[in-house]
Amino acid sequence: MIKNYFKIAFRNLAKNRMFSLLNIVGLSFGLAGFMFIATYVVDELSYDRFQTNADRIVRLNTHIHMGESKLDMARTSDMMGPILRDEYTEVEDYTRLYISSGAKLVKNGNRWIKEARVAHTDSSFFRLFSYQRLHGNLHHALAAPNTVVLSRSAAERYFNTTDVVGRTLETNDAGNTVYQITAVIEDMPKNSHFNYDFLFAMENAPYENWGALLSHNFTTYILLRDPTDRTLLTSHLDEYVHKHCLPAAKQFMDISSMEEFRTQGNVFYYDITPIRDIHLHSNLMGELQPNGNIQYVYIFSAISLFILLIACVNFINLATARSASRAKDVGVHKLLGSSRSGVAGHFLTESLLLSFGGICLAIVIVITALPLFNDLSGKTFMIYDLINRKSLPFIGLLTLFVGLIAGYYPAAYLSSFRPLQVIKSRSVITSGKSFFRSSLVIFQFAISIILIVGTFIITTQLQYIQHKKIGYERDNILLVSDYHVLGDQARAFRDEVLNLSGIKMGTVSGYLPVSSSSRNDNPYSKETVMSTRNSVSMQTWYVDDQYLPTFDLELTVGRNFSSSRLADSTSVILNETAVKHFEFGSEKEAIGKKIYFQLDKNMMAYDVIGVVKDFNFESLRDPVTPLGFFLGNHPVEAAFKIETADIPTLLARMENSWNKFAPGYAFSYRFMDDAFDNMYRAERRISRLSLTFAALATGIACLGLFGLAAFMAEQRSKEIGVRKVLGSSVVGIVVMLCRDFVKLVLIALLIAAPISWWGMNKWLEDFTYRIEISWWIFVLTGLIATVIALFTVSTQAIRAARTNPVDSLRNE
Amino acid sequence: MIKLEHIFKWYNIGGTRSFVIKDINLEIEQGDFISIMGPSGSGKSTLLNIIGLLDEPSEGHYYFMGEDVLALKPKKRITLFQSHIGYVFQSYHLIDELTVYENIETPLIYKNLSGKERKAIVGDMLDRFGIVGKKDLFPAQLSGGQQQIVGIARALAASPKLLLADEPTGNLNSKQGEEIMALFKQLNEEGMTIIQVTHSEKNAEYGKRVINLLDGQVK
Repeated sequence: MIKNYFKIAFRNLAKNRMFSLLNIVGLSFGLAGFMFIATYVVDELSYDRFQTNADRIVRLNTHIHMGESKLDMARTSDMMGPILRDEYTEVEDYTRLYISSGAKLVKNGNRWIKEARVAHTDSSFFRLFSYQRLHGNLHHALAAPNTVVLSRSAAERYFNTTDVVGRTLETNDAGNTVYQITAVIEDMPKNSHFNYDFLFAMENAPYENWGALLSHNFTTYILLRDPTDRTLLTSHLDEYVHKHCLPAAKQFMDISSMEEFRTQGNVFYYDITPIRDIHLHSNLMGELQPNGNIQYVYIFSAISLFILLIACVNFINLATARSASRAKDVGVHKLLGSSRSGVAGHFLTESLLLSFGGICLAIVIVITALPLFNDLSGKTFMIYDLINRKSLPFIGLLTLFVGLIAGYYPAAYLSSFRPLQVIKSRSVITSGKSFFRSSLVIFQFAISIILIVGTFIITTQLQYIQHKKIGYERDNILLVSDYHVLGDQARAFRDEVLNLSGIKMGTVSGYLPVSSSSRNDNPYSKETVMSTRNSVSMQTWYVDDQYLPTFDLELTVGRNFSSSRLADSTSVILNETAVKHFEFGSEKEAIGKKIYFQLDKNMMAYDVIGVVKDFNFESLRDPVTPLGFFLGNHPVEAAFKIETADIPTLLARMENSWNKFAPGYAFSYRFMDDAFDNMYRAERRISRLSLTFAALATGIACLGLFGLAAFMAEQRSKEIGVRKVLGSSVVGIVVMLCRDFVKLVLIALLIAAPISWWGMNKWLEDFTYRIEISWWIFVLTGLIATVIALFTVSTQAIRAARTNPVDSLRNE
Repeated sequence: MIKLEHIFKWYNIGGTRSFVIKDINLEIEQGDFISIMGPSGSGKSTLLNIIGLLDEPSEGHYYFMGEDVLALKPKKRITLFQSHIGYVFQSYHLIDELTVYENIETPLIYKNLSGKERKAIVGDMLDRFGIVGKKDLFPAQLSGGQQQIVGIARALAASPKLLLADEPTGNLNSKQGEEIMALFKQLNEEGMTIIQVTHSEKNAEYGKRVINLLDGQVK
């Protein structure tokens, strides 16, 4: 019986090659997309689950909102972990990570290598987190100062072997420090919210404020005695604020109690994030690496499911459309004694075979498109990650599931034919249920249109960001990194570079108007006594007198710093937002006013000498906040304005002088516009992903439409013949055949427009600076969808319309 | 074997009854060979369909081998049909995707016969109708007459008691038609009960009895 099913199904598919091909190709793309997304989603959901203590480890977060300044950080003070462990029994242990500037230079032979995956941590690190030990003893590995634990790949990079316990590494921190390697671990898994190659002892952390309860610079993890202790710990965190933070705050602020602080609309509290939730549910300041987003996990899952459904719909549509030609078979089988379920079995077997063909082709697609997918998703999956012993049963189930979903309706519908209907007449069976089929086509195109609209809006927003006047010059600016390694030679290097032809001017500062660079937020007030009411939380950027001209920042009133004026060391240049927050009235009135800052026991006063026009120094997702420029030294990066067509030569010359002043250190540079673009990497990725999805969905839907149009044309061949005999032109016939399909696309547009409008508005809300969704996007999308549908349908319609009517009528 | 009592069949068209079959009383004995004749629209096919349990009369009683067919549940009716009636069509209705051999085998699969039994029966049929050499061909590779022979072989594979044929020679030329009719006659002589619907006087003469229908009534 089963053999018979497969025989008939196979021969049927072989006979209707176009139908089978359309279905297999459509299904394979849907399935390939689904496999990719499923792998992506499984990976996203797997973050930090490999930790043995995952359900007992939580991370502490800090929330301080004062006036306009809102700080939500994944950082705490160095004291919080030890205090919580000493005072609360539910805390079994803690460990901290300290990431100073994010990178260290490590000496390899006589070259200094910049290593970004470095952290300082406590010896308790390995009591909380589980990593595979290769050499050494993890329990005492970081107990002593000047110790370091390496990952396998770091050890191999520096020593060509992992057996390196006892050997030493030299780094550039605090005058050169030599560290002893005490252990080597397997590389940290990629699906973790942090990933380091070097773990240095905490005692060597280049930190100056040890013990300061209100300086939040450490990532602190707590190991609870029991997973259920989370609520208990949360309730104790408020107590911690009262007992420890409030007394510390009173030392430099006019603050009497937390109640008063809160009634003024301020916020100060700590909370926790279980480590398994960090990757997808946490997006605070000071995350150890950019996290994922559960929203995107949901959206991508939904989209991949929809694309798969679109492919299934193709099968349903094509199968029911062909019902007229299949009706005879159904009738005969029933007459020969087949039950209804037996007939249904035929159709299910067919759809299962197609689904199987689809999955085979999908695997080929997955293998060929993997680099493209990695590029799109920013992951580094291998074939093995997608197709392995664990995933194969799921792939099998998926095949079965798709086959059943796609085959169920046609099987149920076609098997309901009564044998008499077939025997009695040759043409009574119409390809009925056209309403059902139309709805499915509308569904397919609605999904496609939503994705196309999404792609348009994301692209337009990106264009807007790229071309918005952000208030400073970002083209032709070259940034030289690691400027601090020049030490005393910094000035000499700068002067030499400034003499090169092609360099117009340059400035040295770590504070750059892209969000990846240094930031320094401090409270200022315009009165000598600071309170929560008059304090303005403001970015404090130390720059030299060349900063404003290099970046073309526009002074609205006042003047730039001048190196010849000694008094400028106590001057400040504000941006317009800062002027507003200090409530100086107008920019003109601000000039000559003083602002104050409490430094230890001293009150510092600064004269406002100028106001710059607001510029976007963070991503356009965020509004401009108060900013003050101070004359000072912060030699982290240098920015040079270049004016040459021959950049390679210029770079070679710069590297020459770099090597002269900083021998052994690599010359590393980047371009300002690249740094700017990096801020929107996530958006660009989303834009490309949505474009891919939209193309995929539309493509698969068109495959179905093409098949449907072909069958419609075939079915109406007699009608077309009659019409032509009666004098209709070819154009008239084509219009008649296309009209119905275009109508469906337009209905899909009506359904999709409000949904996509709502969804994309939600997305745009993340941006302070954003485009308005205008009507032309929907008109354009409608036009595109219609043209694509017309193109698909018309090839079939034209063919049908051009056949000689005698051929189609003779068949009767 | 078959007994029809006051069989009516009508359709409601615009509120009025349009009769296809009007008060037919008929008795058919085992071993009979009946030709139903009549002009187009006289109700021949409908009568055959009612006898073949493919259609239900609007009114009347139908006894098949002593069973009151119309009182049976649909499932029981299908079993009755499967085990006792074979059907031959004007347009053969062979399954295009199956070979001659497989077409004849299909009803046996549905009867849940074992592979060995099926092989024996199909082999027997191929032999009996002289189409052993064509067993691996598909219907499209056969002439109309050959297709109809396969159709008859398929109808007889399940060893029915009654063979119903709706214009079995309608799509054939006269020579092929004669061959089919000769085959029917031979089958009847071997004991098969046959009811055929036909337009042709000549074909009707092969039967033992002719029933002439006009406007749904026996003339």
